[in-house]
Amino acid sequence: MSDLIWKRSGIALVAVLLLAVPFILENDMLGVAIVCLAYAVAAIGLTVLVGVGGQLSLAHGFFVAVGAYAYTVFGSPKGEHLFGFGLPPLIAAIGAVVVAAFAGLAFSPIARRLGGLYLGMASLALVFIADYVFQRVGALSGGSGGRMVPAFTVGGLQLSGFTKHLWIAGVDFGGMQRLWYLVLIVAVLSAVAALRIVRGRPGQALQLMRDNPAAAAAMGVNIPRAKSGVFVMSSAYAGLAGVLIALQAQTVVPHTFSMTLSLNLLVMIILGGLGSVQGAVVGAVVVNLLPAILDKLGTSGALAFIDPTGVRGMSGGLFSALVFGAAVVLVLIFEPLGLAGLFRRAVRRASITRAG
Amino acid sequence: MLQITGLTVKYGVGVHALQDASVDVPEGAVAAVIGGNGAGKSSLMRAISGTLGFHAGRVVEGSITYDGRNLAGLSPQKILRLGIAHVPEGRRILGEMTVLENLRAGGAIVRSTRKRVNALQEIMDRFPILAERRNQRAGLLSGGEQQILAIGRGLMSSPKVMLLDEPTLGLSPQMVERVADTIREVNASGVTVVVVEQNAAMALGVATDGHVIERGRVVLSDSAAALRDSPDVRRLFLGGDVDEGLGLDAAPASLATLTRWSA
Amino acid sequence: MLETLLQGLSSSSIYAVLALGFVVIYKGTKVVNLAHGSVMLLGVYVISLLAPRLGFWPGAVIGILVGAAGAVVIQFMTNAVRSKDHLVMTIMTIGINVMIAAELTHEIGDATVFTGDPWGNRSLSIGGSSFPVSRLMALIVGSVLIGVIFAIFRFTQFGVKLRASAVDAETSSLLGISQRSVSIWSWVIGGGLATVGGIFLAAFPANGLDSGSATLAMSAIPAIIIGGMDSAGGAVLGGLIVGCGEAVARRLIPELAPVLGDSFASVVPFILMLAVLLVRPSGLFGSKVVQRV
Repeated sequence: MSDLIWKRSGIALVAVLLLAVPFILENDMLGVAIVCLAYAVAAIGLTVLVGVGGQLSLAHGFFVAVGAYAYTVFGSPKGEHLFGFGLPPLIAAIGAVVVAAFAGLAFSPIARRLGGLYLGMASLALVFIADYVFQRVGALSGGSGGRMVPAFTVGGLQLSGFTKHLWIAGVDFGGMQRLWYLVLIVAVLSAVAALRIVRGRPGQALQLMRDNPAAAAAMGVNIPRAKSGVFVMSSAYAGLAGVLIALQAQTVVPHTFSMTLSLNLLVMIILGGLGSVQGAVVGAVVVNLLPAILDKLGTSGALAFIDPTGVRGMSGGLFSALVFGAAVVLVLIFEPLGLAGLFRRAVRRASITRAG
Repeated sequence: MLQITGLTVKYGVGVHALQDASVDVPEGAVAAVIGGNGAGKSSLMRAISGTLGFHAGRVVEGSITYDGRNLAGLSPQKILRLGIAHVPEGRRILGEMTVLENLRAGGAIVRSTRKRVNALQEIMDRFPILAERRNQRAGLLSGGEQQILAIGRGLMSSPKVMLLDEPTLGLSPQMVERVADTIREVNASGVTVVVVEQNAAMALGVATDGHVIERGRVVLSDSAAALRDSPDVRRLFLGGDVDEGLGLDAAPASLATLTRWSA
Repeated sequence: MLETLLQGLSSSSIYAVLALGFVVIYKGTKVVNLAHGSVMLLGVYVISLLAPRLGFWPGAVIGILVGAAGAVVIQFMTNAVRSKDHLVMTIMTIGINVMIAAELTHEIGDATVFTGDPWGNRSLSIGGSSFPVSRLMALIVGSVLIGVIFAIFRFTQFGVKLRASAVDAETSSLLGISQRSVSIWSWVIGGGLATVGGIFLAAFPANGLDSGSATLAMSAIPAIIIGGMDSAGGAVLGGLIVGCGEAVARRLIPELAPVLGDSFASVVPFILMLAVLLVRPSGLFGSKVVQRV
């Protein structure tokens, strides 16, 4: 069969599986799957920033937090000690993305002045400062206890949180199930948009700027504007992911968006391959899925060394951290293009053997 | 002593810096390698001292042997330990550090502290200017003084062969002569010298043998005297007219002025 | 006032020791060791295991050696990068940090790690205010260590080799200086310094270290940025600025607490760091490097 038919049927199969997910997975794993896709969106933004634009940012988690909190603040009614604007969810969500984008814009002058390592250090400072601010400004964040996230309703249809029962094919089609489709659509659209950007003129300009700023400037690329642009784009993506995370979690706590999140996002894109949109998605899925799967297997006793309570063995999260840390080291030594690079090599070898 | 045979050096994918170059340097000689910009002279030096890797270059064919020993694949440290010191193009003085510290850096491979201290004293005796400026930041020295420092630094490891890459670049004519004298001194003390230069007059003035490199190929190899008289060389490098006089015999006068430079 | 000054100075010396560890590694290899905190925790953890049996001082020595050894292992891993790109190596230390932190979290769990240091919770009375002996020791030992490191840099052959390699790696190679040797020894010193810093961080008035304490070492990063990443003097000065700034902020907290909260003191260094990055990216004493963007 020709390559095209393989490709098309592959995509069709994946599409069917994705659409069927709420019917296959239980609520808890479904929640994990939603988180995977949400972080995939963030990872896509980060891989474009770091991989294509060449700007090292350790602060991506911060922009995710901005999105999550902005949505919550915009969408919640004004409370006793809490900020709120009581806007309809869709407006709140769009507003959150805009705010995140603005945050990226605000940080971009720093990105323009600094490069490489120094930018990484500056973003480190940003995360620490932001962590403090979120903890401190209780009116914004509800303090360390967090605050509730308004459910997402569009045109009378509620897509997250607790909904009335709705039975479809034997499954209680609640908020989580509906949220899945929302997140799926958003993730697919984000990926397609990102691919367009990366493969198109903006992407070429960014890569040239990353590899040879002098040449880029000579060719008319407005470097400061390009740097700001890619920061805005990646922060917008992060903000969008933040909204989705908030919807899934239904409560936002500052703890979720700490330094660890930024590092995890970095791990996701390194494993997936810097600069690859598909890689970012795969990386996000792997990094978020593995701990959950391991914990499930551990509780059921199938894996002796995994124990979520940490008594007989490591928790899934801890073990995964070990694995991912090692994977990052291996990737950086052997295959800097990550899973995307490995995949491309495998495909090339397969098509060579088929041709020969 | 030093034999380069059929050497081909490449940078990156298609750029040949040297093609099938062969140079023979007998012990005790001063070999001049002259050629224009980009002819491949520096590549030759780097190939010998094992530092092509720093410039993404590599030896594709040919061999370099020193005292019968093949230098292929040896680290720069090893090659230095064997007795070949490379004074790089542009002097590459450690500007932030003092003259003394630069010399000490040059003695890095000398394991015995006593030997190193002795070498240090010797160099400072030989080059009073360095002794005078020992605690000054090396970056503050003039071009000529820096070149003396670079040569002194190279001598710290008591090498048997010294590779000098464009030692007179950017120097005034007086300093050029001073450097030439230094080369003669160094050679007289038993060090084989390979001088790479665009300034053919100076190089052939101090050399015993000469080699002309053009576009990566060695096009002429002969005794320095023969090359000096060769009409081709004169035309290409020495400015044409045979009777014009090249200042090669001007040593005595310039030496008088130059005593100012040594303490 | 005196109390604040002493507090500032003693936490400055801890910051300075940690910052110096970062700087030595950076000077020798141009890599920012983002796994410094984990190395610190590793060393202190080893001490906590050995000290009860062998006594504090033998335990401390072994712990410091283990910290140094761990650092060398990290060096080997970063050195395996084919492109020798320093930024990639720095990112790799993030991955290494994740690994070590996970393993240590598993080993340490919820427990607190104590070094069993001989200063315990004793305090001295100085000028009317009581001052923990451990903090005084931190000040003394820190100052001595800093002096020793500076002496090594200025007077020993190794110091010359390290500084030469930091300035010009190619020429240093030409002079026979083994970049590999310089790199390994930088990490050894860095790892040892990290553990020493950890010993004092774990001491009174803190109550030992726990599995999350690795991030405390990150607080030394503002010190190295402010001072300049490749300047040892800058690290010390940065440590002073950060330590004293923090102490002053802590002193002012009762007045400002309603507005700024308790943890403001630990954020001050990072605000200062951002400010310095905007005005002088290479820090107060760092050398201006052409950064690959």
